[in-house]
Amino acid sequence: MNDFIHKLESLMKEYSQYKFQFHFRIWKTEFLRFFRSMTNYNISKEITSASCTMYKGKKSYSFSVDDPTFDKIHKGIEDAISIIDSLPEDPDYVDMDDDTSIAPETKVVNNIESLPLEKKIEILSSISEEAAKREFKIFGTFITNFVKGFVLNSNGVKKEFVTSPIMLDVKAVSDNNMVTVLESFGGPDPDKFNQKEFTDSLMKKVDMACLPVVDAPAGKYEVILSPAAIGEFIGYLMHGAHAATLDQGSSFFQDQLDKKVFPETINITDEPHNENLIPSSYSGSGRTLHDLPIVTNGVFKNFMVDNYYGNKLKMDKNGNEADNLVMGNGGKTVDEMISTVKDGLYISKLHYMNFINPKDMTVTGLTRDGTFLIKDGKIVNVVNNLRYTESIGRIIGAISEIERKRHALPSSENYGAFGISTSLMPHVKVKDFNITSSTETI
Amino acid sequence: MKELVKKTLNMLNAPDVQFGDVRVTVTDNENIFFERGFLKGAASEIAATSIGVRVLIGGTWGFASTSDMSSTSIEKIVKEAVQNARLGARFKNSPIEYKPVDGIVASYHFDPIKDPFKIPLKEKVSYLGEIASKMGKLDGIVHSIVHTHFYKQYKVYGNTEGTLVDTTVYDARPSMMVSAADQNGFQTRTFPGHMPAQRGGFEVLEKLDFINNIDKIAEEAKELLTAPRVTEDQADIIINNGHLALQLHESVGHATEADRMFGMEISYAGKTFVKENMLGNFKYGSDLVNIYTDASDKRGIGYHPVDDDGIPSKRVDIIKNGVLVDLQTSRYTAAELGLEPSSNMMATHASEFPLIRMSNICIAPGKGSLADLIKDTENGYLLDYTKTWSIDDNRNNFQFTTEIGWKIENGEIKHIVKEPTYFGITKDFWNSCDRICGPEEWGFYGTFYCGKGEPGQVMHLSHGVAPMRFKNVKMLPGN
Repeated sequence: MNDFIHKLESLMKEYSQYKFQFHFRIWKTEFLRFFRSMTNYNISKEITSASCTMYKGKKSYSFSVDDPTFDKIHKGIEDAISIIDSLPEDPDYVDMDDDTSIAPETKVVNNIESLPLEKKIEILSSISEEAAKREFKIFGTFITNFVKGFVLNSNGVKKEFVTSPIMLDVKAVSDNNMVTVLESFGGPDPDKFNQKEFTDSLMKKVDMACLPVVDAPAGKYEVILSPAAIGEFIGYLMHGAHAATLDQGSSFFQDQLDKKVFPETINITDEPHNENLIPSSYSGSGRTLHDLPIVTNGVFKNFMVDNYYGNKLKMDKNGNEADNLVMGNGGKTVDEMISTVKDGLYISKLHYMNFINPKDMTVTGLTRDGTFLIKDGKIVNVVNNLRYTESIGRIIGAISEIERKRHALPSSENYGAFGISTSLMPHVKVKDFNITSSTETI
Repeated sequence: MKELVKKTLNMLNAPDVQFGDVRVTVTDNENIFFERGFLKGAASEIAATSIGVRVLIGGTWGFASTSDMSSTSIEKIVKEAVQNARLGARFKNSPIEYKPVDGIVASYHFDPIKDPFKIPLKEKVSYLGEIASKMGKLDGIVHSIVHTHFYKQYKVYGNTEGTLVDTTVYDARPSMMVSAADQNGFQTRTFPGHMPAQRGGFEVLEKLDFINNIDKIAEEAKELLTAPRVTEDQADIIINNGHLALQLHESVGHATEADRMFGMEISYAGKTFVKENMLGNFKYGSDLVNIYTDASDKRGIGYHPVDDDGIPSKRVDIIKNGVLVDLQTSRYTAAELGLEPSSNMMATHASEFPLIRMSNICIAPGKGSLADLIKDTENGYLLDYTKTWSIDDNRNNFQFTTEIGWKIENGEIKHIVKEPTYFGITKDFWNSCDRICGPEEWGFYGTFYCGKGEPGQVMHLSHGVAPMRFKNVKMLPGN
């Protein structure tokens, strides 16, 4: 890769009347997908790609190349030179990133090698045997990626990155009625995967999933949101914390900087170097990432500002992209939190959430992978999946209790290069959660 | 490329290979993007090439792919695909059965009227720039976007049954959007809606006549800021094509994909409420509702001569006179269900594993114009242009908000309404249909972005629809 970087640097010198930004990435995945306690398919995939954005004054043109070679990129630049003069200028032109600082080096193990397919199948076979004892089958994905690449530009940015995330999602599905529960593991370190703990936790959920299924009518409920559920709500909340939405007039946090927006117990930070999470060293433009407080003691502290919007809106740039969200913890155990719910719900996971209006953070979405009825402090029934229509701002504002423990959760962008990120979230208790209808299915 | 596919197929000669196929795709993409009147992105990806090898061994699939087209790399992925299948077969409780079909040799090459990849970028930028410039100067509009995506793909599919098919297609996806914001909130209008993609080249963009639709959507966006909301909790609604395509897509298209029934998509996209025992007797919709999949209709962007499972394209009725009669299937799922495969197995690129995907899912037209239907509606709403969409894991409970609605009283449009939101249960909703407009209102509406599978794929597909009326639909009344 170093040779390639040197060649591109010499290209930038050769065409010094232009400015360039290059992205280069080699992405490998070993992707096992399983259903009904058996293999669906195994995929080995390797994609190498490069993209180049070329600037001449306030004019720009971009191209991308699969399986890039120096000759292909050189040709792309020659083609771009023949095009760029014909394009109009962008009066809002912003110079590319100039942050040349380098993130601390982290040791990365290639998890495609440390977790070969044989090992994955051994793990899944064992979990499947436990599930079968309870008349459940397992469905899901076991993914190991290895990604390396660099960002290089004419302002001296030269950042190399390497990452090798693991993601295991196991859904246990009842043979009898398709009730589904989920357990996940994600992170950079296979040694942190404890198979026994993982299996025990999943089987505890399977036991809950054996409770009788009931429907829940529309109405306001006190709910316990799992770490995955509150994590997804906070992920959507971050839409309004991007400077881009401020520029577009759709930010929930417009005019809220340094103002109290949530209760004092709410703390949300983006922590790209948290050791429990998959690290993110650099932003897409090559800016070195640092911890960023977003909400501190209920006060909105920072927008996430990339190079473009930082220049355009005259804001301090940080490059954060909410890929490593951490919610501050509280003082309760989840059992203590459930024990004080008289008539409410436990929500394991959200599905197909979408904004009705991003400015006021109104959304609609559904529950999946285990929704449970709580009566007098105990989980007593499985509930059909439910639809909620809510404001995320109201939900965060109505958090009354937060769990002491936090859980590292994987999520994937799924499309493109299947980027896997992680967040660290506790259970939370929320008042008056607005259920608008039942799906009548599980 | 055909020779490369044949040569690679010849490598799949191990005695335990039950079936194998090889695909090569060469894809061109060009995106031109203006924001607030200024060019923000002109980007191309030309001749992105990949090869994928799929093998069935011991009743288990193995797959490998690469963008490196060297012979060494291709030999490596053949070995990886075989190894993946053999190892994967260790975690198995019932093998995949694969009923053989006769091989097919065919070619299809679409010729656009105006090949966008042969038009100089300057001309395309100039055409869109005029539109963007007008949008960027609109009073009361805080944000505007014009975007066009041109796409071309050459594909070769070959399998161990002797099938060898090559195709070339061109698709275009033009769209524009304006946003208005004030103390009353933030409202957006798009044109031509959520599913603007069509088979074709630059002529697709020209036919849409963006320049003469700007003022209309800008005025509507501004008017929406202060427009009233729906007040009823139940209403008759007419859904126009700019949104109906998505209603069909989400609550019939995905629901009738057989892989969801088998749980093959539980880990990401979800399941379906449709069960095997519903075939032939489940009343999915009213008697008027006839829905079919037709990968053989060349007008839609879901057309293909043969799918990525080696099945020739065909028309298959899914819902006939309201009754569920068939599903979108692969060879494997069709065999398990005692059905014929419907030619719906597709992957976006050769580097991806084929899945059951919608091709052209269509509602058969009824009778009459939209104007007639409005006249025939005593009290209700006309809804159009998708704003928010959400549907559950089983495709049974949906909720949609459209960008705009029009109140209808005594057969006349009275005024617009803001963020009309309706919801329901799939079966009840389709059974409440009492009118479908005729062929004169029927058209194809396509997308580039139907997401499914892991690693995720976004598929090009389309829907043929004509406006429909639904009675007593549940509405979410606003303040």
